[in-house]
Amino acid sequence: MSKVVEISPTTRHEGHSKLVLKVNDEGIVERGDWLSITPVRGVEKLAVGKSMHQVPKIASRVCGICPIAHTLAATEAMEASVGCYVPEDAMLLRYILQCANRLHSHALHNILSLPDMYLPGTDTKINPFTPEEPVRSVALRIQRLREIAQTVGEIVGGEAIHPSNPRVGGMYKNITPRAQQKIYDLAKEGRILAHEQSEFMIAVFKNFQNRDWAEVAGRQVPIPDDLGYHNQGYMAAAPIYGSSSLDDNPTWFPERWTEVRPWDWYMGEEEITLEDKDYPVGGTTPAGEKAWPQMQACTGVPLYDGQPVEVGPRARMVQFKNYDLKGAMGLQIARQMEYEACAYGMIEAVDALNTSGKVVADEIPQGDGTLGWAANEAPRGCDVHLAKVKDGKVGWFSMLVPTTWNFPTCSRALTGAPWELAEVIVRAYDPCVSCATHMLVVDENKKIVAQKLLE
Amino acid sequence: MVLGNYKSVVAARSADNEILKGAQDGGIVTQLFAYALEEGIIDGAIVAGPSEEPWKPEPVIATTKAELLAARGTKYTLSPNISLLKEATRSYGLDKIGIVGTPCQMQAVRKAQLYPVGMRDVPDKIALAVGIFCMENFPYQSLEAIVEDHCNVKLESVKKLDIGKGKFWAYTERGAVTQIPLKVTHKYEQPGCHVCLDYVSNLADISTGSVGAPDGWSTVFVRTKNGEDTWGKAIAAGCFETKPIEEVKPGLDLVKKLATDKITKNQKTLEARATFGVGKGLRNPYI
Ligand SMILES: Cc1cc2nc3c(=O)[nH]c(=O)nc-3n(C[C@H](O)[C@H](O)[C@H](O)COP(=O)(O)OP(=O)(O)OC[C@H]3O[C@@H](n4cnc5c(N)ncnc54)[C@H](O)[C@@H]3O)c2cc1C
Ligand code: SF4
Repeated sequence: MSKVVEISPTTRHEGHSKLVLKVNDEGIVERGDWLSITPVRGVEKLAVGKSMHQVPKIASRVCGICPIAHTLAATEAMEASVGCYVPEDAMLLRYILQCANRLHSHALHNILSLPDMYLPGTDTKINPFTPEEPVRSVALRIQRLREIAQTVGEIVGGEAIHPSNPRVGGMYKNITPRAQQKIYDLAKEGRILAHEQSEFMIAVFKNFQNRDWAEVAGRQVPIPDDLGYHNQGYMAAAPIYGSSSLDDNPTWFPERWTEVRPWDWYMGEEEITLEDKDYPVGGTTPAGEKAWPQMQACTGVPLYDGQPVEVGPRARMVQFKNYDLKGAMGLQIARQMEYEACAYGMIEAVDALNTSGKVVADEIPQGDGTLGWAANEAPRGCDVHLAKVKDGKVGWFSMLVPTTWNFPTCSRALTGAPWELAEVIVRAYDPCVSCATHMLVVDENKKIVAQKLLE
Repeated sequence: MVLGNYKSVVAARSADNEILKGAQDGGIVTQLFAYALEEGIIDGAIVAGPSEEPWKPEPVIATTKAELLAARGTKYTLSPNISLLKEATRSYGLDKIGIVGTPCQMQAVRKAQLYPVGMRDVPDKIALAVGIFCMENFPYQSLEAIVEDHCNVKLESVKKLDIGKGKFWAYTERGAVTQIPLKVTHKYEQPGCHVCLDYVSNLADISTGSVGAPDGWSTVFVRTKNGEDTWGKAIAAGCFETKPIEEVKPGLDLVKKLATDKITKNQKTLEARATFGVGKGLRNPYI
């Protein structure tokens, strides 16, 4: 007989979400729904009628971990719609910004993932806050990596959180030779730290995959070999940066995208029948309460070729590097493998940058309502923004953000896992629930009253 | 307390003739920044540089002595130097910022350090804040009216502008000198200056002005630990000639008198704002 257990809220990821899990007598997930319960902010609706310059600055505020992704994707969607090609040095600055943001984001996610993991060869879980070695050195390295990345982001982007420098047509400012040198020095330092951090994290995740059990709520929970496996496809536009409809050979295809409502995808109303007061910290939802994923989910369900897909570091590795490690740890390891490329990306781009080159296009067309899109490979995966700009104003705007793509995919990946490890699977996706929850207009009864589809 | 907290006060002037040539007074600001740049105390300074229009300053980040020299001299109109404060740490890549400004601009710097609203990474990057004395300032159109209409000279031909001895002075390249009574200029003052309660840049590391010292010399207050460090090193390096303030005329008494006059007058304006309307008043930023 199946039982239903609910973990609400989930922790150690960005935003507000919950897990509704149907489990068998052994506590193994038969069908899991992971859903956003973050209030919808409706950025896409309020963008309509605003200027093409303002909307990317609003879109940035969807999330403070990956504001770079939303700023760049939105700006480039505007540029794609109006047909504006930006100067090369502006693109190099954006590229450095992109690498810097990914570096900081992955390092931040290490902090969120480590508490589930064990020091290799021991039964000691890792507490990133401990003053004891070897963890202390790791925490300090993570902090320095993030400091380096945010400083570089600040120099090229104008601001590390909500970058001010990008604008429709390029960038407001180029940087000085002194700033160029500073980035170079920081990236060189970061390259070594990134290498060390990547090796450490990969060893930790491999160790977890090889363990037989993990301790949760005072119990030894078995770790299945296929923890977090799924059979969905992958979607990625580029190894590092992205693509847009201005490209000669775009790598994302709007006609392959469709979207369904949570109603078509999630479970119906369920009563909670399994409760665990020891689940850290504060227990699971009390038995007898109701959950209704179909109605409570605050995101749409985007599909690619009619299927939910996985986006993110592994999707990029699968698409561009023949990567083949599956499961939750496979995803985590792929993320660590991106570390060094971020540092090298900064070094190469800052080397190529001409600090006296122009960074704003000579002409910025005002648009005739043509559909343009831009895909940015955010730290968490492919972030596609679509826009129609006419006379400088946004007539239509849509954001398909990484965690939105991953919600249904990750839900499928929960099947077969002990319910106590469901959050470990979720965290492997590095979810950003605020990012995911920006669409659909919902009324006070949680009914969807408006929803957009690509014409 | 009208002169703020300070550790020492002297009369001084730069020992560098090239700096003195185009400086407003003793060339203190330009000399200090040139020295600090050379020594690595700062890696750039925000100064009021030249712009397309005559005597209209534009804030710039000077990283060379030549750029500092180009910014010498007082422009009696607004130069929003703080507008570059954050940017200096961004696309300019500075780690140690020098900044010159009027008392209100020194207040802005300190406020950004203590309450950095939208000023991430600014607080720890201020390396040397040099304040200049300031009685009042003028919008650019005011300056045009004063110089072109009242003094009857074209701004393009002006070599130096000065306020002193109760008069506004304009010196032209070709040697003419015009002076008008300050009274005439009052209606052109920036209204915001009328609630200003700081004359000698109380919040700067080092502040300087012309009042108190003889022509070609400056009065210098060394205020903070940081200011004292830099000043001491610059003196040791032979950057400045100094005289005890007690030995120069008109000396500190005049500075104190003018500071008291400014504060007393503006304090009254501030108080009058409380009852400006019928049954209601205007905002007071100090409360
Ligand atoms: C609006 C105004 C009012 C003043 N009122 C008085 C006064 O009442 N009594 C008094 O003793 N001194 C006053 N001064 C200060 C005085 O005129 C000189 O600026 C000061 O003595 C420095 O001279 P110096 O030779 O050391 O500097 P210099 O070596 O000539 O360098 C002057 C520095 O000041 C900067 N600067 C010039 N104009 C401005 C501006 N508008 N805003 C910000 N920075 C600027 C320049 O960029 C330069 O770096 C005033 C200055 C200003 C700008
Ligand atoms: S009088 Fe005060 S407010 Fe006006 S410019 Fe001078 S310092 Fe600033």
